[in-house]
Amino acid sequence: MLTTIRSGTSRWIADYSSDARHYQLTFLFIFLLTGLFALNWSMPGWQIPLTFLIALTTQLAGILLLRLPIHSLKSALITSFSLCLLFRSDQTTVVILAAFIAISSKFFFKTNGKHFFNPANVGICATILITGQGWISPGQWGSEGIWLFLVGILGFLVVTRANRLELALSFIAAYGGAFLIRMLLWQNWPVDALTHLFTSGSLLLFTFFMITDPASTPSHKIVRIIWAFSVGLLAFYLQAYHWVNGSPLWALFLLSPLTSVLDYFFKGERWTWQDRIPEKITTAPAL
Amino acid sequence: MNKKNLLLALLFLLTQQQVQAFCGFYVARADAKLFNKTSQVILVRNGDRSTITMSSDFQGNVSDFAMVIPVPTVLQREDIKVVERRIFDQFDAYSGPRLVEYHDQGPCQRMYLNESVQAAATMKSRAPVSDSEMSREEDMYRVAVVARYTVGEYDIQILNAQESGGLERWLNDHGYKIPDGAREVLEPYIKSNMKFFVVKVNLEEQQRLSSQILRPLQISFNSPKFMLPIRLGMANGEGNQDMIIYAFSQKGRIETSNYRTVKMPSDRNVPIFIKDHFGKFYTDLYKENIRREGYDNIFLEYAWDLSGQNSVKCDPCPSQPPLYNEITEAGVNWLQSGGWSGYTGQLFFTRLHVTYNRRDFPQDLIFQETPNREQFQCRYILNHPAPYINDCPEWGSYQEQKIQSRKNELRELATLTGWDVSRYREYPSYFQGYRAPQPPDGKTGSIHQENKNQKTKPFRPQPTELVPSENDPIGSNDVKLPDSIAAISQDDFVMQDESEQGEKKDLSYGFVALAAITGLFLMHRKKP
Repeated sequence: MLTTIRSGTSRWIADYSSDARHYQLTFLFIFLLTGLFALNWSMPGWQIPLTFLIALTTQLAGILLLRLPIHSLKSALITSFSLCLLFRSDQTTVVILAAFIAISSKFFFKTNGKHFFNPANVGICATILITGQGWISPGQWGSEGIWLFLVGILGFLVVTRANRLELALSFIAAYGGAFLIRMLLWQNWPVDALTHLFTSGSLLLFTFFMITDPASTPSHKIVRIIWAFSVGLLAFYLQAYHWVNGSPLWALFLLSPLTSVLDYFFKGERWTWQDRIPEKITTAPAL
Repeated sequence: MNKKNLLLALLFLLTQQQVQAFCGFYVARADAKLFNKTSQVILVRNGDRSTITMSSDFQGNVSDFAMVIPVPTVLQREDIKVVERRIFDQFDAYSGPRLVEYHDQGPCQRMYLNESVQAAATMKSRAPVSDSEMSREEDMYRVAVVARYTVGEYDIQILNAQESGGLERWLNDHGYKIPDGAREVLEPYIKSNMKFFVVKVNLEEQQRLSSQILRPLQISFNSPKFMLPIRLGMANGEGNQDMIIYAFSQKGRIETSNYRTVKMPSDRNVPIFIKDHFGKFYTDLYKENIRREGYDNIFLEYAWDLSGQNSVKCDPCPSQPPLYNEITEAGVNWLQSGGWSGYTGQLFFTRLHVTYNRRDFPQDLIFQETPNREQFQCRYILNHPAPYINDCPEWGSYQEQKIQSRKNELRELATLTGWDVSRYREYPSYFQGYRAPQPPDGKTGSIHQENKNQKTKPFRPQPTELVPSENDPIGSNDVKLPDSIAAISQDDFVMQDESEQGEKKDLSYGFVALAAITGLFLMHRKKP
């Protein structure tokens, strides 16, 4: 009896740790619970179920029509969590549109079989641009969840063996470095004004859970680092000079199409989720 | 492009009298004891255009009054106005936390509800702008006076400073005593190309107006920055400062993008004796809520769609909704006069309340306009028991339910305010003639401490007008069951400095998360 339970548990653990997305789902779930119950986010009760419903249905349609693997539902779950964590709207149609755009972007915006938009990112930005009825609340985390975030991120990096960490680091180096130079060295703001900027939960969520998406970022490592650095610089420019709230999301949205161009010129290893065994791209892209 | 880099306006008051603070620091011509009280600001945002109206409750010799207002651009004379103070009182009365009174339907009566409304007086608006000559002078301070205006009772000079030391010397040499540390606080704003106002009272104009009350000053400018620079106000600020923001926008609710915007608790059933202590109740609730939610938040107290086509401008209304001339005087310029509500066009009103200090607010308040049109109000509910009626068989079970719900009201009261409610233990069972003891002095059950040396104005819950319903099914001879509301006035709201800031909850979050991560890590290691 006991052995059965033990072998069952270890099999479950093996299954769980075979896919980095499981960890990501766990952390996003914890963040969402924190937002809902510790930070009392004011979001309509229907937003979460509706987002999941639309995202999963769209993904299922993709699986049936485009013969995608069934495990891609996990990616749709992650996208749903990201949308619930980042996107706000008080209208059902807007939430439906965001979830639909997010998932279907993977089917439509792709070159050489690889989608170049981060699904949640394009869902949020395109919906805001189209309808003007959604918004991002960068201040919604306050500083209370900061420890949760830091430890969550560390934990995530440890358990996923830091895949795509270079993306997070080069983004934060560019964005943070630019703000550090401008605010501390040039404008002489006190240090805690800068720390306050960096303890924004939305920024950390973006840095470690959105821009690190291996599926929609450039394949070549050096190119990837330069690309993430440019996202950071653009985010800084939009924030500091144009007062764009949630500027990292907009910077990523604007620079995502570059991914396909960069992939064309710089070949690299393509990412696949399931076994974390990268497969070489052997076929040359069609002209 | 250059304009886009400029910072928004900020303001600090120079005076030796006690004044109401805006988000600026106090500087004095003589050593005088100053303390910051609650300040009020009206923000109007339309595209890139901001209008900021600042209320200063200056009492004393007007020749001592002076003020410095840094602004993003060199404002033209038509961008500066004085407005009537009454619009602040109107917006405050309209949007303040409110108490609603209901009378239970007895077990042997039919349900009936009514709400009465206190009317508010209308007001006239006036915003004189007078001419003055613009001049330019460079001096040894590296401070250039780029414009001079006389607006209403104020003389205004606009300064362009090259470096904070020069500005500090200029202010000192022109008779203003500014606090230590002002230089460091000024520098980031000068580096961002800020221009500075210096405002004094024009004594001749002021005598001609024959009023001792200085009117609020209103400035408008175009800048993508939508923020209030509260940091300057904390240069000499010891402890907390309190600010109420009335914001008008076209699309929807205003929220802060670099701090958490938290809704105040609302729609709670509280004991009926709260009616006599509503002011104390709400201030203690506010403090307790800050303690619970964290000190670095901004609180939403009211949000309502005031568009011309929205017929319900408040529900219930503690005072008359803002009128067209009040709204336009506040700086809203996109509405068209006319229509049955006095105007047509989109308008959304947000009331925010923030208690800030140097430690918890290292950055200025940055706002964003969201398309969120969800309405919100701070509303607390009193339920009066039904009158006893002889020979009513259901009375017994009604009474039991009522006792239970009154116990819940006491529990709610303890949670909301942190009061020790054991003093009210007789309340649940006394339906008639219960005399509630005074609310606890200080902060029983809370970490807040009140500075008893500071004078606090007593709260004046507004008198409730009891109006019987027109469709009263019971009849006026039976028993009057009026429902009414009372509103809390912002004038009465004075936050005390808190000597104890309280510990943050961050660490406990950290420990829980650390434990979770350790677990995950160990689990991961077990992977075959």
